[in-house]
Parts: sequence; C-alpha cells; structure tokens
Amino acid sequence: MGTANVAVKSRAAPLQWRWPLVWASLLALCVLGMPHLEALFRLFEPDARQVVYTRASFATLLWRHLSVVAVAALAGIVFGVLAGIAVTRKRGRDFMPLVAQLASLGQTFPPVAVLALAVPAIGFGTWPIIMALLLYGLLPIVRNTLSGLLGVDAEVKTAARAMGMTPWQVLISVELPLAMPIILAGVRTSVTINIATAALGATVGASNLGDPIIAGIINNNTAYIVQGAVVIALLALTVDSLFDMLQQRLKTSRSAA
Amino acid sequence: MIELIDVEKRFGGVAAVEGISLRVPSGKVCALVGTSGCGKSTTLRMINRLIAHDGGEIRLDGQPIDSVDPVQLRRRIGYVIQHTGLFPHWRVARNIALVPRLLRWPKERIEARVAELMALLGLSFDELAHKYPHELSGGQAQRVGVARALAGDPDILLMDEPFGALDPLTREKLQEEVARLQSSLHKTIVFVTHDMDEALRLADHLVIMRAGRIVQQGSPLALLRAPEDPFVESLLGGLERGLKQAALMRVRDHMGSLGPSLPSASRISIDASLRQGLSIMLRDHAERLTVVDGKDVPVGELSLRRLIKETQWEQPTSP
Ligand SMILES: Nc1ncnc2c1ncn2[C@@H]1O[C@H](COP(=O)(O)OP(=O)(O)OP(=O)(O)O)[C@@H](O)[C@H]1O
Ligand SMILES: [Mg+2]
Repeated sequence: MGTANVAVKSRAAPLQWRWPLVWASLLALCVLGMPHLEALFRLFEPDARQVVYTRASFATLLWRHLSVVAVAALAGIVFGVLAGIAVTRKRGRDFMPLVAQLASLGQTFPPVAVLALAVPAIGFGTWPIIMALLLYGLLPIVRNTLSGLLGVDAEVKTAARAMGMTPWQVLISVELPLAMPIILAGVRTSVTINIATAALGATVGASNLGDPIIAGIINNNTAYIVQGAVVIALLALTVDSLFDMLQQRLKTSRSAA
Repeated sequence: MIELIDVEKRFGGVAAVEGISLRVPSGKVCALVGTSGCGKSTTLRMINRLIAHDGGEIRLDGQPIDSVDPVQLRRRIGYVIQHTGLFPHWRVARNIALVPRLLRWPKERIEARVAELMALLGLSFDELAHKYPHELSGGQAQRVGVARALAGDPDILLMDEPFGALDPLTREKLQEEVARLQSSLHKTIVFVTHDMDEALRLADHLVIMRAGRIVQQGSPLALLRAPEDPFVESLLGGLERGLKQAALMRVRDHMGSLGPSLPSASRISIDASLRQGLSIMLRDHAERLTVVDGKDVPVGELSLRRLIKETQWEQPTSP
C-alpha cells in the first residue's frame, strides 16, 4: 500500500443476513402454505364451516399490508427527518418545541380516533389508514432525528465549518451520517409499531392482514384470528431483523465515539 | 499578514473582547496567552469568521475579511481546534484530505498530499491512514488535527490549544515538531495556549490577555525583561522569570573568548540555552563553562560573573 487511498471505501462488515432470512422464510412458508395447514387450524375450530381464510390470498393481503406500512413510513421519514433538520438549523430553532409537541400529540392521539375522524372526511379505503399510521409513527422519527442531530459533537461541527464546509456540506457529510444510527433506530420503532397498527385498516375497508382478524372476530372464528396474527407477527419480526442488520452494519462501519 | 484593529465582540450586550489591536507579519508566530475565559478563542475565531466581530477591522494581507466569502476564507486558513474535532465517522486519511477535497484538487494530488503530511508529522501511513479517530492515541489525534489544518497548504494557521490535552513529554515533542515545521514552512501562525513555556518557546510575538483586553504584547524577551504589571509578571513565572528568560537566550550570543586561565572541565554546547548553562554551573559547582562546537572543540567560555554583569538582562531592548 504505497499511495494514499483517500477515497477510502468503507470496509464494512458483511451484512448479517441470518435472522432476516430465518424470519422471511418462515413468513413465506406461512403465507404460501396456509391452505395446506387446514388440518392444524381444524384443531382451533372443529365445528366451523371453513378454517382457513380464503377471501383473498395471504400473499395479496401481505402485499397490501406492506405497501400501506411502507408508504406511511416513507412519508413519515420525509416529514419527520425534514422537520428535525429544519428545527435544528439556526433559523428554525424557535420552532423546535412546537414540532416536538406536535409529534407527541400525533402519538397520543389513538389511531382508531384518527380513522374515525378521517373516514367521514376522505371516505373509506387506504388513505385513512395511511394517515393514521403516518401520524402515529411520526413521533419516534422526529424525536430520534432531533436527538441524533442535537447529539452531534459541537466541536466536530465547529471543525467542519472552520475547514470551510458549507452549511449544506456540514449537514450532509457530518451531521446526518453521525446522527444516522439514532435516526434509523427511530424509523425501526415507527415501522415495527405500524406493522401491527396497520391491521386496523381492515375496519375501514383497506384490505390487508387485518382482514382475517376482523373476519375472525365477526364470525367468532379463532382460526382466522390466529392466521392473521401469526402472519403479522412474522412480518414484524422479518422487518425488525432487517433493521437490526442495518444497525449492526452502521455500528461496525464507523466509530463508536 | 494578519491585522486586528480595535476589534470588539459582544455576546448579548456583554463584551467578550474589546479594543484588540495586533499585527502578525507574514511568517511569524503569535501566541495568545491568558486566564480561562479571557477571550483567546473568541479572538482566534474572529479571524476565520467562525465568529463575526462587532467592531473594528480584521485584515488579512491588507484585505478586510468581511469582503471575502467566509467559506472561501476558511479554506485558505488552517484551523486546529481544542480537542481536535476530528470527524469520528471518517478514517484518518479522509480527515486529512478534507480541505483539499473541498478545494477540488485532483485525486492523485490529494493522495500525494495526505501521504506527504502524514510523513511530515511522523504518522505511519500504513499503520494509521485507515484507522478511525477513536482508535488513535491523544498525541496521534493531535498530529492528525495539525495535518488536517495544513492540508490545503494555507498561508495562515490558527491553533486553539493544539497540545492542550497531552502529557508533558508528548506535548514537548509536538512543540518541537511544530517549531521544526515552522522553520521550513514559514506559515503565519496565531495560537492560543495556557502554557507560558509553550508560548515562550514557539512565539515571535506574545500577547497577554485579561478579561477581553490585551494587557501587554511584544517579543517574549521584551516581555520577560519588562513586564508592565504584576499580572503579566505572574503569568511570566514570577520569581522564575529569570530562568524563563535564560531559556530563550543562547550560549552562542553570550559567551566570551577563551581566556588565558585554565579552561573549565565543565562543557556546554554552543547551541544550548543559557538556562541549560546555568543548570550545569549549579550542578558542577562551576563559575565558568567551556563552550564547545558540534565537534566537541572548545570555542569559548561562558562565565557566570560576566552573565550577571551583562546589561541586557534587566533593561528592555530599545525599539
Ligand atoms: N457563543 C458564546 N455565547 C456567549 N458567550 C460566549 C460565547 N463564546 C464565548 N463566550 C464568552 O466569551 C468569553 C471569552 O470566551 P473564550 O472562549 O474566548 O475564552 P478563552 O480565553 O478561549 O477561554 P479558555 O482558555 O477557557 O478556552 C467568556 O466569558 C465566554 O463565556
Ligand atoms: Mg478557548
């Protein structure tokens, strides 16, 4: 190694795919193999006419569930991170308490209540549930973006400015990368909560993995409820382990300082 | 050349520094010394516009700094921060390469520059270039901090307690290295320190501050010879002032020719300081020392009696 490899590539540790793969395989098995598990679910409801939910395939339900959570999460990241950035700039500082309070308000407001208010306003379907999830998931993202950005060593930020970085460069190359592990932890919390909460969508006509659960409650069919719950749990575990993998990678590829 | 003319800074109505006027000619080293909170860092940070000054004028090579875009200005001025301020998520090589990258140097030139600076500061490239700052010792981190400040080849270097957090030995070593670097690079340097010995050792021009104002400034020897008030005198070492002064004077300039009397058995190098000479006299109970050159050949004599009689000790040099 004779010359300076200045554009040092991150020699990041390889991603630890083990747990995400385990959970994803279980999820896939469950989703695709549900019709073959009839005998098992018969144990829950020996007398029911039908024991496996079939109004829509679990693959379709999973896809819809995931899309709703993903759209809400993306919107949450965009709004949450932008708001966090805005109020940590000099000009936005005055708004910091306001934004922090609004975000907590979003979380104290129950998603069911959001649905109840949103449906009359924008009708049944996917949008009310996306709105409810967005509001519900915003707090962890905003809160962690704030604490991540505020936690960046003042000395490091001063050095960045002193070396002649523009405010934009300081944000992109210094503040965000250093805050990233904490922001990511916030996104993880938000998404994991929302995978469970999204099931509520079934009550307002947004068909997703909540459907079997609601149908089970209405028809008094425990097997349906178990199917919906298990698939949602496996989905949550898969996504959570993916986040865990990303966080581990961030941790090993940069300083702990 | 750096010029501050009657510069002032207020934080919320309270003056942090006031009436600061000083001039650092190109290639010279200026030290700001004073008690904690007296406005040293503030003064330093106004020079690269990290802090905007509220009154007076600051000029670099005659040009008022307000007329230059701050981002461009800072890329021309090296800055070594208290506690290093290295980017924890970047490796050493990338930290050092920061300013050249901002200046959009070609890649090969940046790589060569990083390797050159690491060699200059005694940092092993193979061992350290790919480490993260938290994997460095305090001394290594400080060196990286200095290398980063020098990377863009600025004419001006500002250093805020560059060796503050180091043990005395490492500190002395780095001071020597900075002195050595300066003798070949000839940067215009302003540095802040709590350590008077460091200031005396490195500075051409010494500025003593108290409560946001300059109390006295001048060459280290001039200040040692004639401190203007008790505060300056106590900073300069009080009763030890004489020894600090002797540390700045060289045997070469104060020796006499070899006399007819028997040469003393105690020897001292012609490049040593008078302080070292006095120390040897005390140790060896000798009133006279034989001065030798690099090849150990006697070239003169250092006499305690003569040193004491020399007028230069007490009187300030006339300007
Ligand atoms: N951003 C700021 N806002 C308000 N007051 C400040 C600010 N920066 C510095 N001060 C005040 O200005 C004065 C000078 O501070 P400065 O940092 O220049 O001191 P210093 O001489 O560098 O001290 P030290 O040796 O402890 O580093 C102090 O009283 C400090 O409290
Ligand atoms: Mg300071």
